[in-house]
Amino acid sequence: MPLRIWREPLDLDKTKVRRAEIRIIKERCRGCGFCIEFCPKDVLEVSKEPNEKGAYPPKLVDETRCALCSFCQTVCPDVAIITIEKEL
Amino acid sequence: MKAPQSSPKPDEEIRIGVYVCHCGLNIAGSVDCEEVAKFAATLPHVVLSKDNRYTCSDPGQELIKKDIKEHKLNRVVVASCSPRLHEPTFRRTCEEAGLNKYLFEMANIREHCSWVHLYEKEKATEKAKDLVRMAVAKAALLQPQEELVVPVTRKALIIGGGVAGIQAALDLADTGYKVYLVEKEPSIGGRMAQIDKTFPTMDCSICILAPKMSDAGRHPNIELLTNSEVTEVKGYIGNFKVKVLKKPRYVTEECTACGDCASVCPVIAPNEFDVGLASRHAIYMPFAQAVPSTYIIDRSLCLNESFIVCDKCMNACERHTVNFNMLPETVELDVGTIIAATGADVFDPTSLMSYGYTEFPNVITSLEFERLINAGGPSGGRLIRPSDMQIPKTVAFIQCVGSRSAKSGHLYCSNVCCMNTIKDALLIKEHWPETKIYVFYVDIRAYGKGFEELYKRAKEEGVTFIRGLPAEIIEDGRTNNLVLTGENTLRRDLYEISVGMVILSIGIEPRQDSDVIQRLLTLSKTSDGFFMEAHPKLKPVDTPTGGVFLAGCAESPKDIKDSVTQASASAARASILMAKGKVTVEALTPIVNPENCQVCGLCARVCPYNAITADKELKKTEVIEAACAGCGTCGAECPFDAITMRHFTDEQIYAQIDAATEQNADKKIVAFCCNWCSYAGADFAGVSRMQYPTSVRIIRTMCSGRVAPKFVERAFARGVAAVLVAGCHIGDCHYINANYQTKRRVEKLWKKVERLELNKERLQLAWISAAEGERFASKIKEMQSIVDKVSKEEIEKSKMLFKKAR
Repeated sequence: MPLRIWREPLDLDKTKVRRAEIRIIKERCRGCGFCIEFCPKDVLEVSKEPNEKGAYPPKLVDETRCALCSFCQTVCPDVAIITIEKEL
Repeated sequence: MKAPQSSPKPDEEIRIGVYVCHCGLNIAGSVDCEEVAKFAATLPHVVLSKDNRYTCSDPGQELIKKDIKEHKLNRVVVASCSPRLHEPTFRRTCEEAGLNKYLFEMANIREHCSWVHLYEKEKATEKAKDLVRMAVAKAALLQPQEELVVPVTRKALIIGGGVAGIQAALDLADTGYKVYLVEKEPSIGGRMAQIDKTFPTMDCSICILAPKMSDAGRHPNIELLTNSEVTEVKGYIGNFKVKVLKKPRYVTEECTACGDCASVCPVIAPNEFDVGLASRHAIYMPFAQAVPSTYIIDRSLCLNESFIVCDKCMNACERHTVNFNMLPETVELDVGTIIAATGADVFDPTSLMSYGYTEFPNVITSLEFERLINAGGPSGGRLIRPSDMQIPKTVAFIQCVGSRSAKSGHLYCSNVCCMNTIKDALLIKEHWPETKIYVFYVDIRAYGKGFEELYKRAKEEGVTFIRGLPAEIIEDGRTNNLVLTGENTLRRDLYEISVGMVILSIGIEPRQDSDVIQRLLTLSKTSDGFFMEAHPKLKPVDTPTGGVFLAGCAESPKDIKDSVTQASASAARASILMAKGKVTVEALTPIVNPENCQVCGLCARVCPYNAITADKELKKTEVIEAACAGCGTCGAECPFDAITMRHFTDEQIYAQIDAATEQNADKKIVAFCCNWCSYAGADFAGVSRMQYPTSVRIIRTMCSGRVAPKFVERAFARGVAAVLVAGCHIGDCHYINANYQTKRRVEKLWKKVERLELNKERLQLAWISAAEGERFASKIKEMQSIVDKVSKEEIEKSKMLFKKAR
């Protein structure tokens, strides 16, 4: 068998793991879904509650999965999503 | 010296000379050689028959040469020892007298007669006469053959860039040959790069390997193909056409390995090089000394799949070396020789539940230990317990994890683990002398140069060796300490020992994907799953496929020194071929007769070497002579008699069968034995003087796959009592898998025999290796009782039913 890799790396505390904070400005969202579609880590999904515009804004599935590539922020036509690096 | 060769013309009179050798008393002791020689003189085409004391001696050979010239002999038969011993000698004698060496035939009256019938002189003499009759009958039909000479491309392919592959590459490149070194990982180095120190000298592994790695990287004769895999190998010895898939690195060669890219990469994953104990990014270099010293992007982790969402590494790289548009590329190489140095995997101890690997954090493998004790490793060289990052005060090594037990791993010994553990124990003692160390073992195998001394040193430094592996490991949930219980088989008492850390000394196993290389290079494997050498003693780095050699752990588990030795050996073997620049192929290959051939493709289907192509569109069946090894299974398969196996033709084999069955056929066994295993097994029975009944007449074929059903039918049609077909054990065939065809054909024959309501027992199939003389002897004894029981009616019936075969 090839090597089994199963442990958590011992040096994780020394590696700077960047944690993200994702802010979604629900009322601006027009529900295009780009942020959900293009997120490489599948951090977002469609929420069940519509906003005032009748659009369904994204909601977080698991914020810790975010790698802070900020592509959601780049593709959002409505400037409705912002990623910020959390201070730890 | 080779004299100018004269070949007999088709209508030329056949003039056979027979020489019956006494071999001192080895033959003459139980065979009346004079009488055999007199008998031989009465056989058709025999113009001269002599007996002498030692035919293989210089005077014996001179006599043959003189007779060839004086008596215009155009065939020579020597009745003496096994052709496996002296056929090359007498072939050379014939050549020196100007006779084509394929016009020589041998009758084995020593190993197959005098030595196995020591006390039955009369019967042995009768048998010797039969054997000579068979040889003369074949000799009359022999034809001169021209051996094919093929050129050898002076370039080599080495598959695998571990220490064996690197050494072989450097040796060949220094000799002056172009070398392609293909490695599937991003860097060369292999397992040796992961190891901290080497035994028994305790020098730093990467310190001695890294210079070799960079030598290989910048050698003008070596072309490195890393992150690449061989996908296709076509051709034959001296003329291989190889396709290699170069997977993209997504970083160009201009990379300076500054590491700016990795520091901004948002993806973190375990690093395989550190067995997952340290982390890396999606863009990474496997280890500091990697060659080529270039970063690579792991696209299975990178955020960018079909389009770019993250460009952090691209922006960080000042030299703009990151390129996501790189595509896989297939390169085609022409090489003359190939060295497979594909290495090995390590045993995964997760399956051994009683040791708790992956369940208890402080149970680690010996490979994890190497990364922990290494100063460049994830813990900076501190041996820390994964549970609390503390240095353990007591440590236990468990030996033979996955080795020496078919039940819990593999039956074979992995060779390196004993010494590796002793080295590891001494390393712990060196850094933390107070550490209490236990080694639980089955046997300590310290067989090499300087090994015993190291073992002694470990004992002197206070390492405790306990014979008897623990039955179970239990974890103390509070401290994560481990309690080992088992039996000390030397003191015959039970132990229960608590330690802070357990190191499983894991074994070596064949690469999981070794089937791919096996198929590409048409190699064989041993029952262990490692690649098989052409001969375990005398051709340890050759393979059954011409021009392909083995080095390192691909062949069997071995340490660094042995891997390097073997690598240099295989490089030397490959050099011989390339220095000569040409190679002759024995003229045992088939000739297709286009008049009979229906281009059905059956021959191509059974060929183990893909050496026959049947092109239905062009209506042509072609033999790639240099790729053919001459097993003859194609000839046995052809339903239209369109294939002539040179030197083992249907007519020649029929002639042998007919000669063997000319007298008292109903009391005889005709045995078809393959040259490499069963014939050699019968030879071994002779060398060991194992006595068995005189009724058997052996016909040699290169492979049991040559034995066509029609040969067996012919023997029955001639009224023989029993037939034996014997070959190498399944899986050990010298022609890869040709004996599967043997099995299939014999099974089919059995069905036919049953259908004809004949005694199925009269046809036997046996797998007899070259070492199993006893098995051959007992098989003949067993068959003798069948011979004794066969009734006249049964013989007549089979003669009738198989009449067609006559």
